[in-house]
Amino acid sequence: MSMTVSANYVSEKISQIRWLPEKLTQSERFVTGTWDMDTNFVRVWRFHENTYADSVEHTPRCNDKVAMEADVTGIEFVNDDTFVVGCGDGRVSLFKVHRAVEEDQIRRTEHSERIHAFKYSPANAPCTAISIYGTDIATVGEDGRLNVLSANDLKQVKRTIEADSMSLLAVSFVNQNQVVTSNRMGVIRLFDVRSAGDGQPQYSFMAASQDEKSSNFVSSIVTHPMQQHVLICGTEEGSLTVWDLRQLEYPASYLSTHKSAITAIGFHRQDPSKLFTAAEEGAVWMWSDKKLIDASQTDSSSAWLAGDRLTSLINVDGILTNIRKAVNSFDVHGSRMICGTDSETVYLIYDV
Amino acid sequence: MTEDTIPHFEIGDALAMRCGNTLTASFVPGGSKIALSAYRPVKWSTPDAPSESAGEEPVLIYMAQETTLYTEPLLRSLLAETNAAFTTLQVLSQGPKGDAKKSIDYLKISRTYRSIIRCFLEKVEHAKKSPEVQENEATKERHTEAIYTFYAIECLWNLFEVLYIQQQHNQLIVGELLEWTRFHFPDTEDSATDLLLMAEEASECDNYWDTLKTLVMLGQLDVTRAILSQHRKFNQTVFQTADQVLKSMPVYQDGYAMQKFCSQWEYWHVDLERKLAAHVFATEPQLELLMQLISGSNKHWDAELVKSQDWYEFLPGYLLFTRPACKPFELRIAATNWINRWSGLRPNWKMTQLSRMIMQLMEHDIKLFIYEAQKLGDSHWFATHLIDLIYHSGQLNSYFEQQHIDLPSLRFSMIFEYGSYLMTSHKLWQLGIDYLDCCKQEGSAAIELLLTRIPLKSERQAFKIIAMAKERGLVNVEQSICKVLSKRAYADQRYGNALEWAMRSKDVLLVTAIADFILKHYSNTGVMLCPDVITSIGARMFVSPRLVFLTKYFEFYEFYRERDFLSGAELLVNLLASKITPDYFWPSLLIDALPLLESGDPKIFAKETIAILQHLELELVPIIERNKLNTAKFNNQSSKTVFSDYRVENVEEILDLMRLACARNLSRATIIENTAPEA
Repeated sequence: MSMTVSANYVSEKISQIRWLPEKLTQSERFVTGTWDMDTNFVRVWRFHENTYADSVEHTPRCNDKVAMEADVTGIEFVNDDTFVVGCGDGRVSLFKVHRAVEEDQIRRTEHSERIHAFKYSPANAPCTAISIYGTDIATVGEDGRLNVLSANDLKQVKRTIEADSMSLLAVSFVNQNQVVTSNRMGVIRLFDVRSAGDGQPQYSFMAASQDEKSSNFVSSIVTHPMQQHVLICGTEEGSLTVWDLRQLEYPASYLSTHKSAITAIGFHRQDPSKLFTAAEEGAVWMWSDKKLIDASQTDSSSAWLAGDRLTSLINVDGILTNIRKAVNSFDVHGSRMICGTDSETVYLIYDV
Repeated sequence: MTEDTIPHFEIGDALAMRCGNTLTASFVPGGSKIALSAYRPVKWSTPDAPSESAGEEPVLIYMAQETTLYTEPLLRSLLAETNAAFTTLQVLSQGPKGDAKKSIDYLKISRTYRSIIRCFLEKVEHAKKSPEVQENEATKERHTEAIYTFYAIECLWNLFEVLYIQQQHNQLIVGELLEWTRFHFPDTEDSATDLLLMAEEASECDNYWDTLKTLVMLGQLDVTRAILSQHRKFNQTVFQTADQVLKSMPVYQDGYAMQKFCSQWEYWHVDLERKLAAHVFATEPQLELLMQLISGSNKHWDAELVKSQDWYEFLPGYLLFTRPACKPFELRIAATNWINRWSGLRPNWKMTQLSRMIMQLMEHDIKLFIYEAQKLGDSHWFATHLIDLIYHSGQLNSYFEQQHIDLPSLRFSMIFEYGSYLMTSHKLWQLGIDYLDCCKQEGSAAIELLLTRIPLKSERQAFKIIAMAKERGLVNVEQSICKVLSKRAYADQRYGNALEWAMRSKDVLLVTAIADFILKHYSNTGVMLCPDVITSIGARMFVSPRLVFLTKYFEFYEFYRERDFLSGAELLVNLLASKITPDYFWPSLLIDALPLLESGDPKIFAKETIAILQHLELELVPIIERNKLNTAKFNNQSSKTVFSDYRVENVEEILDLMRLACARNLSRATIIENTAPEA
């Protein structure tokens, strides 16, 4: 597999990066959010053809920016030109992108109340992750609270669950009504977020860990886009644990992979046979289903649930390795991938 | 870059001005700040009494901080990119020694650094034109300063590379030097391009001959020829001859015998001088002047030199026409002569830092050069990276030995300072740590100190710092960060969070304290705090015996809640026997046993009942006795006892109840156990 990688220094530590959704064409625009800067920004960028050098095909140029109150902790698109931004001050905002021929623009259209706050302290409780299902937004924060909002009206919180007495680090919708959260101890809980529910977790289970005596947080959770009962989480020790939500007694598969904490997991937006993981050590790997030649073997069950056989069913490729600083976020659209890192670079990878 | 004057600024403190106009200052730890305040000088003869102004006027404290270019966010990309090049160089130097390919790699690294600067300069130039910068005077000034400083750095680095990093087997440097001046004096090239575009009309242009002269003096003969060939009179013999001269000038090519080249060049030179003496070009005085310059005629060069911008502008060109085979060691003499000649022509000229540093490089005065490099306003960016490169490439080792400079320790201290600077400022800690990693024990000690000083804004950031500490085996850092976060959470009454951070810190005392708090809270109010955390502690409980007790007790509590009395009773008896029960929890634990003992169908066997009774008499009674003694001693502070809960008043009553319950259960259990059918 040959991939071209180009690095662009952007003078900001990138915490979140997302392509702007495009239906028919390869996306040229992306949005980024920063963290740990004097002023944190949400920016919209566009890749321009580079006419000067042959080796670098595209260079990004910032089209517009909006200053944020604190670290950007999550960016997800609700539809083609609206995205939600989770922020370190415990609020979420709604942004609109205006695509233009020359300079694209972004505008903050809505700003929620402080939906994450500590009970006995005036300090901000950062919102740590967000997840989107349709127009529903789920947010979790360091205050251990799970909120569900509607993108149509951020002022009104549909459901608040005191999900945990410690910080939550990741959240993901399983379906319209169910949300999984994970905390710093590696405990994953499944909640019913319909308003009729009692706010108690339906299930709670612990991520597998090599060293039982130290904590092993789950930093990111993702569900398979086609088979929603397949839940994959990445942990502090760098391992992947896979669950079958229909059968929760024990994890379906366990893979020790990266050497450091996993920062992000995501499936390819169009091709669910590819999963990507990014890690603190500065690596992005791609996990792809092996194309099985024997047609009889293509049964309905997912390769991810295969347990020990998993390694023989799935290929691993290093997309970015040894860049030494954490890759915090990535996104894939078509054949191109973008990664945002702590070394203040945006990587563009072709032919993924 | 200014002349090397010591920067000074006025404070104008009223108090200080009255009391002898003196100030005192001290460095504020953990940063580059200096605190200044008024100060009255004290001598042996000063009376030992408060000064007149004491208590009357406030002493103002001023904070002075070094201004740096790096407040501008744009410069971060430069720092981040050089950080990558720096680490590549460190990895490279760890490879096998004596590799011939390495010197090429070092050259590559040097070029990488330079291309980073050039790319950055382009970015700043671009940014400077944006309205955002134009409107803000301060940012505009910072941009200008950044361009100025880094332009100078690139110029110096380029020259350094030509003279000291590039290793050419024939040691010819004139060509490289010409390239260098060409890049740094681009004005002439611009006007030459204009002339070329004008084609035939060019010869009517006012600056036609001036541009040609400068081109010749910059040694750009190809362009000169191209412009000349566009002249209207180019078909005339004079121009043809001149063109022939330019064309036939010998240029050294690789693999050519040096001797042969020198004699060929000498022949060409003599031929040109003969032509000039014969007034071959006399019909075209301007062309003749051009030819005089090419022949290296001192008289004509002097006349033109007056116009040049800086002393080194035309030196490479002059060398091309006088000593084309100049070697680096000959350059020293040539440069000295040249600068004497130049300053003779321009007596009022004052040397800037840049031109002085260029002189030092050409005169092989690296020691002074490095000294000056540290005075540039770039927070030692240049000096650090250049010294590091010099150190690795090892080409100047013998020079430093001769000068008695300890290069390794110089490099060490530069990298250490630069790394510490990055660690403490502008949120560049992720970059700074790479530099400190090269500094052995001192570096790791500094990392240990500085990592804990990074303000923690979110847990995600804390995790990143902890991961860095873990990678380097700095257990203390990890512990202290976890402890800070645990205490912070505890203060916010988020006990679950506090407990988990405490467990991460593996600090027994802290874990015990928080577990104690939870147990006491339970025994006072009957409310169990953060049950979700306690359920999932699992194997992590072994950090502290108190935590083991808490989790085990919680297990019992859950059994009890789920009415699984048999398992509960078993666990309770185990807990009683475990010897990890804290004193204050004994009453609670025994009261928990009471319903189990009194239950109609026995939950606790006879043997266990005896054990409970034994615990009652051997553990609880002595505590109560001790307690009484303490309260007797300090009658006034009766509340400060081990049992601070509501059960303390009737503890005697509880004791009796327990004894009775035990007796009853014992009888019941004995009967049932002994009447059980024999197996």
